[in-house]
Amino acid sequence: MKRPEKSLAFTFNGVRIEAIEGQTIAAALLASEINVLRKTRLKNEPRSIFCGIGICWDCVVTVNGVTNQRSCLIEVVEGMVVSS
Amino acid sequence: MIAIVGAGPAGLSAAVAAAKLGQQVILIDSSPRLGGQYWRHLPSNWGVGRPPYFAKAQELFDEVLSNPLITRFSNAHVWQAEKKAEQFNLYVVRNGVEEIVKAEKVILATGAYDRALPFPGWDLPGVMTAGAAQSMLKSHGVLVGKKFVIAGTGPFLLPVATGLAAAGAEVVGLYEANNPLRWILNLHGLILNPSKIREGIYFLKKLRSLGIKVHYGKEIQSAVSDGVLVDGKKIECDTVAIGSGFVPELSLAGILGAKLKVGADGTVVVDVDQNQQTSIPGLYAAGESTGIGGSSLAVLEGEIAGSTRKGKRLARWRAQVFATGLQRVYPVSNKWQSALTPQTILCRCEEVSLADIHGAIDELGAQDGRSAKLFTRAGMGLCQGRVCGRNVSEIVACHLSRDLTAEERINTAQRPLAAPISLGELGDGLEKNF
Amino acid sequence: MTSQNNFDAIVIGAGIVGATTSLALTKAGLRVLVLDRGPVAGGTTGAGEGNILVSDKEPGPELELALMSRDLWFELGDDVGDSFELEAKGGVVVSRGDDTALRDFAKRQQSAGVNAQLVDGNELRKLEPHLAPGMNSGAFYPQDSQCQPMLAAAQILKRVRERGGIVKTGTMVTKFVIVSNRVKGVETSEGIFNAPTIVNAAGTWAGEISKLAGSFLPIAPRKGFILVTAPMPQIINHKVYDSDYVANVASGEADLQTSTVVEGTRSGTILIGASRERVGFDGSMNIDVLRRLAAQATSLFPILRDVQLLRAYRGFRPYAPDHLPVIGEDSLIAGLWHSAGHEGAGIGLAPGSARLLTEQITGRSSFMDASPFSPRRFQGGSA
Repeated sequence: MKRPEKSLAFTFNGVRIEAIEGQTIAAALLASEINVLRKTRLKNEPRSIFCGIGICWDCVVTVNGVTNQRSCLIEVVEGMVVSS
Repeated sequence: MIAIVGAGPAGLSAAVAAAKLGQQVILIDSSPRLGGQYWRHLPSNWGVGRPPYFAKAQELFDEVLSNPLITRFSNAHVWQAEKKAEQFNLYVVRNGVEEIVKAEKVILATGAYDRALPFPGWDLPGVMTAGAAQSMLKSHGVLVGKKFVIAGTGPFLLPVATGLAAAGAEVVGLYEANNPLRWILNLHGLILNPSKIREGIYFLKKLRSLGIKVHYGKEIQSAVSDGVLVDGKKIECDTVAIGSGFVPELSLAGILGAKLKVGADGTVVVDVDQNQQTSIPGLYAAGESTGIGGSSLAVLEGEIAGSTRKGKRLARWRAQVFATGLQRVYPVSNKWQSALTPQTILCRCEEVSLADIHGAIDELGAQDGRSAKLFTRAGMGLCQGRVCGRNVSEIVACHLSRDLTAEERINTAQRPLAAPISLGELGDGLEKNF
Repeated sequence: MTSQNNFDAIVIGAGIVGATTSLALTKAGLRVLVLDRGPVAGGTTGAGEGNILVSDKEPGPELELALMSRDLWFELGDDVGDSFELEAKGGVVVSRGDDTALRDFAKRQQSAGVNAQLVDGNELRKLEPHLAPGMNSGAFYPQDSQCQPMLAAAQILKRVRERGGIVKTGTMVTKFVIVSNRVKGVETSEGIFNAPTIVNAAGTWAGEISKLAGSFLPIAPRKGFILVTAPMPQIINHKVYDSDYVANVASGEADLQTSTVVEGTRSGTILIGASRERVGFDGSMNIDVLRRLAAQATSLFPILRDVQLLRAYRGFRPYAPDHLPVIGEDSLIAGLWHSAGHEGAGIGLAPGSARLLTEQITGRSSFMDASPFSPRRFQGGSA
C-alpha cells in the first residue's frame, strides 16, 4: 500500500499538523498521535473520537471559529485553524 | 423524480435499479465518498486495489458515477422532510446552503451505527466503537492504536479485529459476550445461506493466522488509561474497540410519519411491505433501517425498493432468515448494566451518570425515559440521544422492574431534526429548488 | 372505602400549576393528592423555557399577580432548594425602529411597580455585547427571571411528598363523583379518591376536565415552537426580545405570529422563541415557523449565524378568550376550583396563582382582588 505524501497542513491548538489529502481532521490528528481532541464542557474530561462516523459528536472541535464541528467528518483544508 | 437518502449498499443499488428503469434519481449522502459505512474505502490518491468483497461496490460506484440519470448530492445532510400533496419535500443542507429536493418517491437508506454499551471508563480517549477503529483504517489509512482489545458481541467484531491486525496492530484479544454454541439457533439461516459458512470459516482461519485469541462469554468490566479489566484481571492495551450490534438511523422515517416497529431483540426498525414501501405511500426504506442484515441483504432490498422487482424476493427472504437468526446467536441481555457504577457516565454529551438517572427516578418520580431525560438532560446533548437513548431507557425500565413498551422504544428512536442546521442556513431560506 | 383514599384536596395536573398549588395547599395543612394521566411536567410545563416575566405584561391584574408570583418563586427557591436553575437573569427589550411604544409601555409599568430601566444603545451593548448594530433603544427589566420548569415541577412535587402528599402519575381521571352539584371525589384508572375540594390544574386540557365535571371552561391551545441550539459558551446574558413580542402576547389574531425571544440557559444551549398559532392540537412541524424564528434571532444576534440548531420542540399554551388565567371556584359545581389558562406565562404565574387559590379555598383574605380571574366571567353567575 502506497501511502500518499502529507501535502496539507493545518493548526490544532496552535500546533502545525500535516495531513494527507482526503483525510478528516480527526484522522490527521490521530495519525499524528494526538488523541485528546477536547475537554468536556461540564467535567473537563478528555475526549477523543468515539463513533468515527458523525453520530456521537464526541470529537467536536472549533474550525475557523465555528464551534461544535465534527472532526471525524470534516476533511482537512490547507491552512485550517482548528482548536479544542 | 426519486430521491434516495444514503449512498451505502442499499442506496446505491436502489439508485442503479431505478435509473435502469429510466427514472431520474437524486442520490443524497452526507459523506464526500460513496459507499456508506460498509464500503468505506481509501480515496483514489492512495492508488490501492480493491479487496475482493468490493467488486459489487465498484460495479455500483461506476454505474452511479456514469449514469446521467443519477444526480449525486454529496456532503449533503437532509435535516427535515415533509409530504405535501403527494409530493415529498426533502430539506437538504449542502456546503452551507439549504436546498429543497422535491420527489414523488423517496427511498430511505439511512443505515445504522454501532450500539455501544457503557461501562466504567468507556468515556476515556482510546475507547471507541469498532466502527470508528475500522473507519479510520478503511477511509484514512490510520491505525488509531498499537495494542487493541476488541469487545462486545456480534459477527462485525471479526472483520474489525482481523482488519486491524492485518494492518499491523497487535490485537491482544477479542472478547465476545456470547457463546459460539448459540450458532445452533441459526442453523437454518446457515443452510439457506451457505456463503455465510464460507465467510465464517474464512474469518476463523484469519483469526488463527493473525494470532488473535477469541474469549467467548466474556465482557469488559471497566477500562483504565492503559488497559481493561476482564474477570478481575487486567489486560494491557492502548485502544479498546467496542460494539454490541447496531442501531438503525430512523430520524427521517419518524419525521415523515412512517410506521416503526420493534424487532425481537428490541431494535426499532421501519416497517416495510414486500416492495420495501413504508406505511406512507411513496416512501420506501431499504437496508439496515428496516432491520440489521448486512450489506448483501441491503443490496437486495435497495434493488427491490428502486425497481419494485419481484424476482429478488426469494433471495431477500433467505438473507432475512439469516439476519433474524443472528439476533438469536448474539443477543444483548441486560447483564451489561451490572458493570455500571453510580459514577459511570451514560450520556456522554451532557455527562449524565447512572446516579443522576437513578436520582431522577427515585427522588423526582421519573417513570420513563422521557421524564428521566427532561430531569437530567440525558439524551438532550449534541448527539440527541443517538448513543445513550436506548441504554438510558433500558436502565430506567430495569430500575423500575418493568419491561420497556414498544411505544417507549419507538419514541427513543425518533427526533425532530434529522441533522443539525446552522441558524444562518435556516434563516437564509431556500436558495434554489430542485 | 379506606381512609387511604380520602384527601382534603385533589389536584388534577402535575405540571407547574398543579405542583405549586399542591405545595401551597399542603403548607396550609391540607392532605393533598396530585393526579396526572401522564408523567410530571408532561404537558405545557415540559415544553416551555421557564419564563418568569414581568416585562411583557400590561399594568393590570395579571401584572399584579406576576409581581407577587415572581417574589414567591424566590421564596420557593429557598424552601425547595437550589435545584431547578432559578435565576434572576433579567430581561432586555430592544426596539428596532420607533421606540415610542416601548418607552410608553415601560413608563406605565414603572408606575405599576415594575423595575423598568430605559437604556440607550451604549447601555444596550454593555448588557448584550453581541447585539446587532443599529439597535439604539431598549428597556432593561432586572426582575425578569427563569427556571428549568420540568425540574421545578418535579422538585416541588418531591417536597409535597415529603410533607405527606401523594403524587400519582399515569392516573387518568375518568369521572367526577358529584352529589347535588358538589364534588365528592373522582373515579380514576387507579380507583376512586374522595375529597371535598378538587383543583383543575390540567393546563391545556382544563376545558376537558371541566366538561367531565359537568361544567364549562373555554380553554384552548395556542401552539408555539422553540428552537434549541448546540451548547455554547455564554454569549447571551439576558432574556432578549424585540418589542413586537408584547404586542403578539396580547394579540387575539389566530394566524401565525413570531417575534424573537433569545436567551442563553445554564446548560449552555440557546433557546429561541416565540411563535404563536391557533391551530388546535396539530403537533406537526412547521418549517416556515422555524425559518422565521431563526431569521429573526440571527438579525438580533448575528453571532448566532454559525450556531447549530439541534432540535425544535412545540408546545401548546392554554389560553382563555380574554388572555387572563382562570383562578377560582366553579360557579356551577361547588368544591371544584380552577387554576388554568395561564397561556405562555404559566411558569411565572404559578406560585402566585397557587397562593391566590389556596387563600380562597381556605377562606383567608387574598393578597389581591381575585375577581378578574374568576371562572364566573365565562360561566355566568354573580362574582
